[in-house]
Amino acid sequence: MAANVENNAVQETDKRIKLDKKDIRRSYWLWQFFSHANYNYERMQGGAFAMCMAPIIKKLYPDREEKIAGLQRHLTFFNTNPNVGAVIHGAVISMEEERANGAEISDEAINAVKTGMMGPMAGIGDALDQGVIIPLVVALGISFGSTGNLFGPLLVLIGLPIILMLIAYNCWMKGYSLGSSAITAMLAGGRMKQLIGAAGILGCTVMGGLVATSVSFKTAIAFNIGEQAFDLQSQLFDAIMPGLLPLGVTLGVYALLRKEKFTSIQIMLGLVVIGFVGGMVGIF
Amino acid sequence: MSWLQALIIGVLYYLSDAPWFFGEGYYVLQRPIVAGFLTGLVMGDPVTGTIIGATINLIYLGHLNVGGSMPSDMAVAGYIGTALAIATNVSTEVALAIAVPLGLLGTIWWVGKMTIDSFFVHWADSYAAKGDEKGVMLMNWLPSAVMMLVFKVIVAVVILMAGVPLMESFLNVVQGTNILHALEVVGGLLPALGIGLNLRAILKNETMPFLLVGFLLVAYFQISIVGVAMFGLVFALIYMQMNQKEDASYGG
Repeated sequence: MAANVENNAVQETDKRIKLDKKDIRRSYWLWQFFSHANYNYERMQGGAFAMCMAPIIKKLYPDREEKIAGLQRHLTFFNTNPNVGAVIHGAVISMEEERANGAEISDEAINAVKTGMMGPMAGIGDALDQGVIIPLVVALGISFGSTGNLFGPLLVLIGLPIILMLIAYNCWMKGYSLGSSAITAMLAGGRMKQLIGAAGILGCTVMGGLVATSVSFKTAIAFNIGEQAFDLQSQLFDAIMPGLLPLGVTLGVYALLRKEKFTSIQIMLGLVVIGFVGGMVGIF
Repeated sequence: MSWLQALIIGVLYYLSDAPWFFGEGYYVLQRPIVAGFLTGLVMGDPVTGTIIGATINLIYLGHLNVGGSMPSDMAVAGYIGTALAIATNVSTEVALAIAVPLGLLGTIWWVGKMTIDSFFVHWADSYAAKGDEKGVMLMNWLPSAVMMLVFKVIVAVVILMAGVPLMESFLNVVQGTNILHALEVVGGLLPALGIGLNLRAILKNETMPFLLVGFLLVAYFQISIVGVAMFGLVFALIYMQMNQKEDASYGG
């Protein structure tokens, strides 16, 4: 891999229009801020892709017709994870740079990189940030915040953007320096899969703890067995395991979600009805 | 609740899905824990706001925004739910029960926004055809920003100014009945959905034991969530080391 990159670098010595670090950074910040500014059903992040590419296109293509073609090329449907997916933008910028300097790179090649990479990057990125990083940081924030500790919200407000931007910025720069080979480099050796696996273990452990601290569900049922009063919650459920009912409810909800027979909204309404009716008649 | 407070909360609600906070609005400002804190600051009680926001956030822990769909608007639940709860002085569980229906209402505007924004991208098309890259860039944020700012501020101010007296009369009516207790039961149950949704994304048969260990650590030893995360980190490191050994043996 490294040898290939060096070969490419040698071939690209006589460039007419060279992008400098400032151009790449400016484009990154445009994406960082505006990736979802006009998120819509028709093109998703297409307008945002064009927005961050616009200064690059302007610099690379002084010819008016080429500039128009370049802007239109990037106003197409695009949708990916904005953080990990930034590797695509970096790669596309390096392809546009090579193309502007005479390399034979067709519209189709650029489109293929965009449309081919956006799906896998959305999958990896969403699993990593929405699946693990965000719930983890937010869970820690909640555990501080629920006792009134203001470090909780501040951790989410300041810590989370820093983590996500570090991922996005590094992916962007990696994409630019590796070009269209970025994706293979990223997936090489299954390192990404391993990282997601490790993050999943951390996430599951914390979620387990959160079940015990945040879900509360108790029964108020009590009756007499002969002369003996029997309290179902304290004398049966708590005796088996503290938090048995919250764990049962959570795993039950998870099982229903996994079967995909019910939507999350239906399950929510189910919980509301069961909890409300049970609370009214005094079972819970 | 003053008009000024309602207005500021409306602007914060707009910002939670706007580009202006490093583009991280929908990752960060949208979270009810942050929303509760900021709303609390505006209402003069950031600590109570944080506690309420943290509770509301539990339902949205597994919130996944995939492929442009939005299952629920946690920002409206966080900002407006917290503001209503502080203004009427209800328990956090009742606050949660108010926030949920508000969050469901939010999905309506999302569909509208995603549809109308589709027109703005055609405006960008016509600038692109003229080779005007500044116009292309402007169309990606200005029309949507103006539309959403006006819409969200109006929604927030109307719900807040009308909602506080409405909730006060509701609380007067239900005083002494079982209804508040029933709402608290609901509030205790709903976090199971938030956690369940996140588990759908990360839980596999192989990671089930880790979920149980995390649960047992808290259930039996009352370890804090930070402590549980430390254990989780160690488990993750062990997993990575075991995998690295395998890789090395392939190489050797």
